[in-house]
Amino acid sequence: MNDILDIKYEKHTLKNGLEVVLYQDKSLPIVSVNLWYKVGSANETNGKTGFAHLFEHMMFQGSENVPKEKHFKFIEEAGGNLNGSTSFDRTNYFETVPTNSLELALWLESDRMGFLLEALTQEKLDNQKDVVMNERRQRYDNQPYGLSWEIIFSNLFPKNHPYHWPTIGWMKDIEKFELNDVRNFFKTYYSPNNASLVIGGDIEYDSVLELVKKYFEEIPKGETIPEIVIPKTQLSENKKIIHEDSIQLSKIYLTWETTELYTDDDASLDVLSDVLTGSKNGRLFKSLVFEKQIAQDVSSFQYSANLTGMFIVVATAKPGVSLDELKNEIQTELNEVMTNGISEKEFNRSINTVKSSFIYSLQNLNSLVNQINNYNTNLGEPNSFVYDLGRFKKLKQSSIKDVANKYLKNNYVELHIVPKENKDED
Amino acid sequence: MKINRSAPPKQKGTIEFHLPKFNKFTLNNGIKVLFVQKKSLPIIQLNMIVNGGSKFDPINKGGLAHLTSMLIDEGAGDYDSLQLDNEFESIGSIFNIGTGNDSIGLTLLSLAENFERSLELLSLVNQSPSFTNNSFLREQKKLTSKILQNNDDPSYIATSNFDKIIFADTYYKNPTIGNISDVTSITNNDVIQFYKKHFTPNNTELVIVGSIELENLQLLLNKFFVTTANKIENKSIAVPLKQKSKFYFIHKDNAAQSEIRIGHISDKRNETDYFAKTIANSILGGQFSSRLNLNLREDKGFTYGINSGFTYHSDAGNFEIATSVNGKNTGEAIKEIKKEIAGIKTEITDSEIEFTKSYLIKRFPAMFETNSQIAHHLSSMLKHNLSENYFDTYIERITSCSKEEIEATAKEKIITDELIYLVVGDKNIVMPQLKEITDLDIAVLGVDGNEL
Repeated sequence: MNDILDIKYEKHTLKNGLEVVLYQDKSLPIVSVNLWYKVGSANETNGKTGFAHLFEHMMFQGSENVPKEKHFKFIEEAGGNLNGSTSFDRTNYFETVPTNSLELALWLESDRMGFLLEALTQEKLDNQKDVVMNERRQRYDNQPYGLSWEIIFSNLFPKNHPYHWPTIGWMKDIEKFELNDVRNFFKTYYSPNNASLVIGGDIEYDSVLELVKKYFEEIPKGETIPEIVIPKTQLSENKKIIHEDSIQLSKIYLTWETTELYTDDDASLDVLSDVLTGSKNGRLFKSLVFEKQIAQDVSSFQYSANLTGMFIVVATAKPGVSLDELKNEIQTELNEVMTNGISEKEFNRSINTVKSSFIYSLQNLNSLVNQINNYNTNLGEPNSFVYDLGRFKKLKQSSIKDVANKYLKNNYVELHIVPKENKDED
Repeated sequence: MKINRSAPPKQKGTIEFHLPKFNKFTLNNGIKVLFVQKKSLPIIQLNMIVNGGSKFDPINKGGLAHLTSMLIDEGAGDYDSLQLDNEFESIGSIFNIGTGNDSIGLTLLSLAENFERSLELLSLVNQSPSFTNNSFLREQKKLTSKILQNNDDPSYIATSNFDKIIFADTYYKNPTIGNISDVTSITNNDVIQFYKKHFTPNNTELVIVGSIELENLQLLLNKFFVTTANKIENKSIAVPLKQKSKFYFIHKDNAAQSEIRIGHISDKRNETDYFAKTIANSILGGQFSSRLNLNLREDKGFTYGINSGFTYHSDAGNFEIATSVNGKNTGEAIKEIKKEIAGIKTEITDSEIEFTKSYLIKRFPAMFETNSQIAHHLSSMLKHNLSENYFDTYIERITSCSKEEIEATAKEKIITDELIYLVVGDKNIVMPQLKEITDLDIAVLGVDGNEL
């Protein structure tokens, strides 16, 4: 199995600092171009949140040589698909195109890396501010339970912590985005020395490297990237928040701060979440949903990012069941893992699930290339599938009990989302 | 030296793409199989399609197909529910069940080395589900809670009620998950009878894509799928009635946005006008660079996104525009949508057609990337009874669509007088705007779709 996961690649660093990774896979006549900028919402500051995500919009509004609305149009006309996404730590932009349109994709990506500000106008900003405010309303404000994550982050992390606010930003900050701030944010973070470019698929190494140099090498190196300041984040006490929403079934969220991406504990916590809620035999699922039938659903996950991570358990109460009852049952199951650990059968089942998911994840070129970029950006080594899976293979059954004790006894944030008090329906 | 960036680079060379070839065969018990061999990864994807979707729900038992699909893997053969799940999980196989209007789909993704065991487990689910009373009571409650929960989601409220209105008096009007009073009245015996009626070999099709030899596959399938054939029920639709244009409104307290749906019923999928419809719709609202999206998102900033589409069940279809807009722009947004509908029926330019054909033709190879994508396309070939050379002639059929054909299709298949408008939003903000933009009746509905 390691044969398939041990991928071949070439890595180069241009003079301006841009890292370039090339990966050949000729099974289909398509190429994926995937660019990570090491800027996310963690690079923002209080009062000016949402910039990284705003750029995910502005980067599609044209650049010096690409008229507004043409970015999408060029790629669509070539039969490609494209998008971008923003997280705490990074923003990525990607397109998959037929092999013969690779140069088009490089032209587009390099034009917006090198020459975006030349085409940035107040009108474009105002338009995309409206779009982002609508995105916020549609995906968060008007969505059942849609505000839960930002409530959790802003309570788990203190005000000066880079993970305190949601990636889309607070509405009051989005409303007052200013052109000058937008320009400065771009100048600071969207430079070749703060990016990693992976090109995978139906390519020839030499000719693609030449093309990359042609389009990216003349873009000047940017300034040194400002350090992110991380305050000490220990939660000093348990916090309980009750939030009313237009919903009928209440939900409880329990969140502990844990550890960052790619650590050994990170892998153990992934396995813990699988043992708790990864299948019908997951302990929490089995107890709350299957046997006692007090929850409609339950899930848990280790959400790990560059600076830190969190372990979250979410359960939806059946009508008439109190969230305190759910919490008690969850605590009972967690205590059981902390006291007696997990069985060999549970451990093996989880490891097998992880192993096969690595193989399944190789099917789609776009997501494969994005994972290569993830490895390159965070681990400095694009070919890390074997290493990554190895983190799980080397775990011991007792590691799961250990991480549960290490993190889940600490202070936590408890969020209840409950139905609004009934108002007159006139 | 600075390079010249002023014009987009030209394409280099041509693309060579070989469409995956499929084998077709029938098992000894009558199940029909389509198989594509794909050896790039040691995995196998299997889709089992059972012709028993929610359109077969008896009257007043809406949700029966869905509940049956929830119960079919709650124990089978000698395994109880948890044991069965453990068997799939411990070999890393991913098994899912989904219910649509037309069919129930069972999908399996397995490592090639564990395919035989995965298939054995699937055959148990398919041929000897336990249907215990305990499981029934548990899953029935889960389904009624799910229905409650869906009714909190403005987007779901809009989509499900829109179907209910436009598919009036036909079996496509009901949501697959049913409604609370119907689901409460279903018994375990109903489920067992529904299973017996629909989970029969000659009512079942398999689409398999992956790393296995044909002979070995046939051997394994015939080993595990042995139940013999019995009756099938085919259902043909009562032709949905054409409706006169009308407005509907559903109130949602303090809604942050208005969900808008506009459209009408339409024909089922056929090979003669499918591509002309696809091209016309693509220009109107089927892609990012469509008229609707460029206007309402990129110009006006009313919405995060808007799309339109002809969608197809086996026996009928519909045309639908969907978006979510800021409450205060609801009226303006609908006016702009009407303007774009009128526009697409007036003129379509050569460059729009050229652009769209290029988009549809050049993305063709990428449609066959993953095992599940290939399985999906073959499944839709079965669902809509498409000819076996459908994908071989795909590009040719797009190329040969003429401008006249596309313009005529837009005029005939998007029918202004029949457009149904549905808005889910805050009445205090939205109602005055609707009254301003239309003289038509505005029917006010509850979340359950019943007129207030």
